[in-house]
Amino acid sequence: MNPRLSLGLLIGLCVGLGVVRGDFQCLGPSKARKVEISFWNGFTGPDGRTMLGMIRRFNQANPGVLISMQRMDWATYYNKLMVAAVDGRGPEIFVIHASTLPRMQKAGFVADVSNLFGPSTLPREDFDPYVLDQVTYGDRIVGVPLDIHPQGLYANKDALKKAGFDRLPVNREEFVRLASLLRKDVDGDKRPDEWGFALTLWRNNFQSLMPQFGGRFLDENGNADLDHPGNIRALEFLGSLGKDKLVPPPENGLGWVGYRQKKVAMVFDGVYMLGDLKRLNDLNYLGGPLPQLGDRPGTLADSHVLCVREGLPNEKREAVEKFIQFLSENSIEWADAGQVPARRSVRATPEFQAMPVQYGFSKQIPYMIYPPRINVLFEFTLEIDLAVEKVMRGRSTAAEALKIADQNAQKFIDRDRAERVVKP
Amino acid sequence: MTYLQERKLTGWLYLAPFVVAFTTFVIVPIGVSLWLSVMRFDLTSRESVSFVGLQNFQDALKDDYFWQAMKATLWFAVLMIPSMLILALSLALGMHAMNRGRNVVRAMLFLPGMFNVAVAGILWQWFYNGEFGLFNFWLKGAGLAPQPWLSDRGFAMPSIVLMSLWWSVGGTSVVILAALQQIPKQIFEAATLDGAAYFPLLSKITLPLLRPVLMFVVVTNTIGAFQVFGQPFLLTRGGPELSTRGVVQYIYETAFNNYRMGYGAAMSWLLFLVIALFALVQYRFLRRGHQ
Amino acid sequence: MRRAGRIFLVAFMFAIAAIFLAPVALMAFTSFKPESEVLNPASAIPKVWTLSNYLHILGWVEEAPFGRWLLNSFFVSTSVTVLVVGISSMAAYGITRLKAPGGNAFLGVVVASMMIPAQLFLVPLYLMLSKFHWLDTPLALIVPATAGGWGVFMLSQFMRAVPEAIEEAAIIDGCSTGEVFFNVTLPLCAPSMATLGVFTFIGSWNDFLGPLVFMDSVRNYTLPVGIALYQTSYYTEYGLTLATSVMATLPLILVFLAFQRQIVESMASTGLKD
Repeated sequence: MNPRLSLGLLIGLCVGLGVVRGDFQCLGPSKARKVEISFWNGFTGPDGRTMLGMIRRFNQANPGVLISMQRMDWATYYNKLMVAAVDGRGPEIFVIHASTLPRMQKAGFVADVSNLFGPSTLPREDFDPYVLDQVTYGDRIVGVPLDIHPQGLYANKDALKKAGFDRLPVNREEFVRLASLLRKDVDGDKRPDEWGFALTLWRNNFQSLMPQFGGRFLDENGNADLDHPGNIRALEFLGSLGKDKLVPPPENGLGWVGYRQKKVAMVFDGVYMLGDLKRLNDLNYLGGPLPQLGDRPGTLADSHVLCVREGLPNEKREAVEKFIQFLSENSIEWADAGQVPARRSVRATPEFQAMPVQYGFSKQIPYMIYPPRINVLFEFTLEIDLAVEKVMRGRSTAAEALKIADQNAQKFIDRDRAERVVKP
Repeated sequence: MTYLQERKLTGWLYLAPFVVAFTTFVIVPIGVSLWLSVMRFDLTSRESVSFVGLQNFQDALKDDYFWQAMKATLWFAVLMIPSMLILALSLALGMHAMNRGRNVVRAMLFLPGMFNVAVAGILWQWFYNGEFGLFNFWLKGAGLAPQPWLSDRGFAMPSIVLMSLWWSVGGTSVVILAALQQIPKQIFEAATLDGAAYFPLLSKITLPLLRPVLMFVVVTNTIGAFQVFGQPFLLTRGGPELSTRGVVQYIYETAFNNYRMGYGAAMSWLLFLVIALFALVQYRFLRRGHQ
Repeated sequence: MRRAGRIFLVAFMFAIAAIFLAPVALMAFTSFKPESEVLNPASAIPKVWTLSNYLHILGWVEEAPFGRWLLNSFFVSTSVTVLVVGISSMAAYGITRLKAPGGNAFLGVVVASMMIPAQLFLVPLYLMLSKFHWLDTPLALIVPATAGGWGVFMLSQFMRAVPEAIEEAAIIDGCSTGEVFFNVTLPLCAPSMATLGVFTFIGSWNDFLGPLVFMDSVRNYTLPVGIALYQTSYYTEYGLTLATSVMATLPLILVFLAFQRQIVESMASTGLKD
């Protein structure tokens, strides 16, 4: 075939496809006018399917409004949101984590929604004060918490049973006993093939233990306090598990895959991981609060927050508010996807209490902590990750690793402060 | 107008469509990134946008993480570029010498590169997984010791290179093969009639004829290696202990996770300088070999 | 002896190709496993064969309108390929054959521009496309893709590797530059153009970030974006991801095979080679 002919054919194909796509005929039959609302979030995976179902119901019940959802993995999503915001193009409503709110708030991208909170709409007392505090900036409430997703303990029910446990371990003694009982060398090569416990996301595993040992992120003045004695003790505990060979050496993404394969009996992870477990038909899982490994109970949590774009026209703002109220009131459906609803009234329903994992995780609400409210959160947590990794590899003591992390984190905070000062 | 003059004008006429596209979608963004590199520009706080001169560049040169990333990038490039070129050239020569089945082999070698790097990444992460992965499962099955493919600082980068080779060597060898096939067969026939053996033929005739294409392959692979991002990002997220976090990943995190566009742009230009230096040296080297 | 050598070579090359293919085969097999069996290293070939992953993906148009995405993908990738191959071959002809003054220096600038990490262009590009009102239209994916220097660089180098004698003969015979370009140079360079076409098509097809960032409506996405729908930041739905990626890659394989035939035929028709 001669190249001119094939080029011609390709161009023909091109035009043909364009016509089929319908982009060259802009005049379609115009539908009844609707308020179109775009809704962005990072709910890829099963929770997005739940959300799509809820949107379908809302659209059916509200013929004047058309919500369309765009979702992508959180990392790409945050990039896109920021770039779109610079151009003033962002979505009308979007979901972000409570922990990233400081930056969004700083960018002036989130609208005040305090008018939404009222006895007939969203009763304030139906939200936990600590959670509401996470979305409050001065006298502005900049988002409606949809859920709470604490870190907790997942365990393989069958494995636990073999070790004589028909429930999750609740304290340090039980946890360490299980971790060593369930570590097994099945094929006899002097190397364990099955583990009682493995790390998942290092920073989350460690940050969940920090409050248990009395640790904290920042001091009273908002400076980094990563080398707080409580943090050091928490990391020393994790390090001791490594030293006793009770956890496999740290590797990116290793723990959860092992748990799925039934080669790890216990992992710490977020309640949202439930979506992954639900599709496995041969893994008997248990989920609930983290065991108390330190002096007191504690865990790390965050929330998906519904935010509204600043400066919406009335018509859209009304539709968005209606939608937020719908999601919040129906958050029992959302809970089913592997979340704990932010509304106390929803958590009190028998439906919710019949969801064993979600209900178990929700018991941690009274003592959970959220990530620090700082602009440099990404750099801050990267330092935490590095410290945990160094200790788990036995390349540093907990005190040394956290001291370095603290110094670096403070540098980021200082830089951020200096840059906040607008030069005259 | 003489023919030669006309030819010169027509030359730019043929170039015109590309020049327009290139100016709009490459030169303008480059100008923007040059401007960004001398600014403090935080996407989240536009009120603090200000001119800072060479501050960003100075900061980068003092930034330990930048140097660590540069080291990782260099290490990847040093491992990747030679192994890529040798393997791709051998595969292309091998395919060229095949009298049957060439198209099937070419398709098979090329196939991995058709998969999205995201998918290739999750697949290989599972292959390499130290405790639960496929490779160590096989090694154990064969009675060998499992290896810390991605969890050891010495192992991780070579593992990433291995995956990258699998993913992209087919593409490069297809390019070289296309160049080999463009050499008129008569040249080979003439040389074979003269009784030339394979290897002298290769070094005296084939490689010199391939020189422009090899130049293309060397330069694009160098650029690709220095800009490596997807493979380490997906396999290790830059670990263990940031030892595989390359410059582009650091730039990406700076610009899009920390929203510091100015600093990210400055680091991009520093990376550009390093790549340009390498490319220039390679160019000189290949040219000298020519004379 | 020579014959034996040839046979050995063919066998050897096939063995290497098989190694390259193995992970791909594994991926394809895995897409037919139920989720609970997915990451089990002990069963490379599924113990239980199931279509559930494929049925799930295809059965949920609201989540993933695959038909529409397939159409978008073909439209965008074909357009990009036609434009890139056309524009690049013209530019390469202008530089290497018509010797446009300053052409080589320009090529140098083009190559240098490839050395700047393109991630940085995302924001300026987004703002520009927004000004053009191209966001959320296929133009945003098609037009900027024609500015890449890869194709011009590649075709220039390939053209340099083809002796100019034949074209000179044509010019002496009184052909215009346009006639030489269409009737002599293009057929001579058909294999490299086909190669460029394949690479461009694949590159455009697999573009991930472009559709995600530049498209606002799900119906304007392209096929590979579907892969990202089943990967969360915390875990991957392996079965669904691999099934999507098999479906997203199949069209590419068909395109490649078609182009491969094109290469062989064009070489046969020029009568110069094999």
